[in-house]
Amino acid sequence: MGERITFWYGCNVLRHGDIIHSCLDILRLLGIDAQPAGGPDYCCGTGKDENQTAADGMARRTVTKFNAMQRERVVAWCPSCHSHMTEFMGQAYPPDFALTYLVDLLYERRQDLSALLKHPVPMRVLLHKHVGFNDKVAVNEKVPALLRLIPGVEVVDDGYAAPGYMCALLNLVPKAMADMNRETLRRVALHRADAVVTIFHQCYREICGLEAHANTKAFNYIHLLAQSIGLDYIDEYKAWKKAGADAAALIGEKRLAQVGVQFFDRALLPELMKRPLGLDPKSPDPKTQPAVVRGADED
Amino acid sequence: MKREAMPTGAMKEFIRAETERILAACTRCGKCFEACPMTPYSPVLAGADPKAVVTGILALLREEGNNPEAIGWTSVCVRSGSCVPACPENVDPKMMMRIARMTASGGLGGEKRIAARHDRDYFDRVRAFAKLQLTEDEIKDWM
Ligand code: SF4
Repeated sequence: MGERITFWYGCNVLRHGDIIHSCLDILRLLGIDAQPAGGPDYCCGTGKDENQTAADGMARRTVTKFNAMQRERVVAWCPSCHSHMTEFMGQAYPPDFALTYLVDLLYERRQDLSALLKHPVPMRVLLHKHVGFNDKVAVNEKVPALLRLIPGVEVVDDGYAAPGYMCALLNLVPKAMADMNRETLRRVALHRADAVVTIFHQCYREICGLEAHANTKAFNYIHLLAQSIGLDYIDEYKAWKKAGADAAALIGEKRLAQVGVQFFDRALLPELMKRPLGLDPKSPDPKTQPAVVRGADED
Repeated sequence: MKREAMPTGAMKEFIRAETERILAACTRCGKCFEACPMTPYSPVLAGADPKAVVTGILALLREEGNNPEAIGWTSVCVRSGSCVPACPENVDPKMMMRIARMTASGGLGGEKRIAARHDRDYFDRVRAFAKLQLTEDEIKDWM
């Protein structure tokens, strides 16, 4: 095996097991020895603006754990974790590792990656972009470059970038979220795109609601890379979003019992049923109830 | 080689040092406010004087005052970072706004000026999604 890294996937991407599994397969196929680390025990604490005592403890705990892993670099999936490590955690608690963002790693290794992309994915796509984060990692340029390695993928040229650095924070400003959804749909139609493709899971969580409620196909860029490589993990989160109130039937009794039916109904189902803000109110989706606006899951 | 355990409290120390740096460096020119794509989303910011808004932000950093325009700007900041290249003094207004948000939400121990979200299910929801899609071994080894 080649380079030993820690693959820091984050917390909220745990909604998308297919994305985590695909990333790990891609890293393995690139000859990288990746130890996955994520979830609450590796939380960066970026969502704890209202409690910096807790955020401090989380930062110290997570940097200490990564230092103890003694891997050459930590490769982050989540832009919030990456930003928080760069701007706060790593400033306060000295890291013994280099930090890289996954897009940068894939871009570094794009020749090897290209050799893996054997299956055509005939699709004209609009990349969902944001203004922020690009000072750290040029994702708005590098992700289209990665997508263009896939035979059959055409990325349309479009200058729109939503405010913020990812969608989840827009939940705090519902009008901005509604504008982003409307503008995305308008541009998908304008470019006659087959699908909208996100860079981050925080955006995918919102944008795949457009497939469920506005008949606009949605993917994360990892989905398209995985498809071209021939990995076939199922995007269950999208299936649950599309099923809405019937998501429990797809999940099945056994798995529901593992999380608890009451907890599922209270804490997971409203998100799966949420109708994206800004959609035309004249075309209500009978499967859903009004949108539930929660706080922003930053990471 | 075994490292010494790192002492706690370094984040707050860092934030305090950054606050001092920002307070010393900012000239209140207001260019960061002018560059922000989110100001149209706060009704209190319509027609606001950029210099006055930034003055309110600096007061917030000092835990002084409750300037409604400063609170309004802090509330709609989603970290676009458009303010960073707009600043002629290299202050890093994104950091300034982040610390303003921490302060305004009571995160540094002072008065709560904006409602902080509280999602009691946050981590349990993450764990529940993990249980739905990862194996028991993956949860044990990866989380
Ligand atoms: S942070 Fe920079 S741009 Fe903003 S008011 Fe201060 S000096 Fe001007």
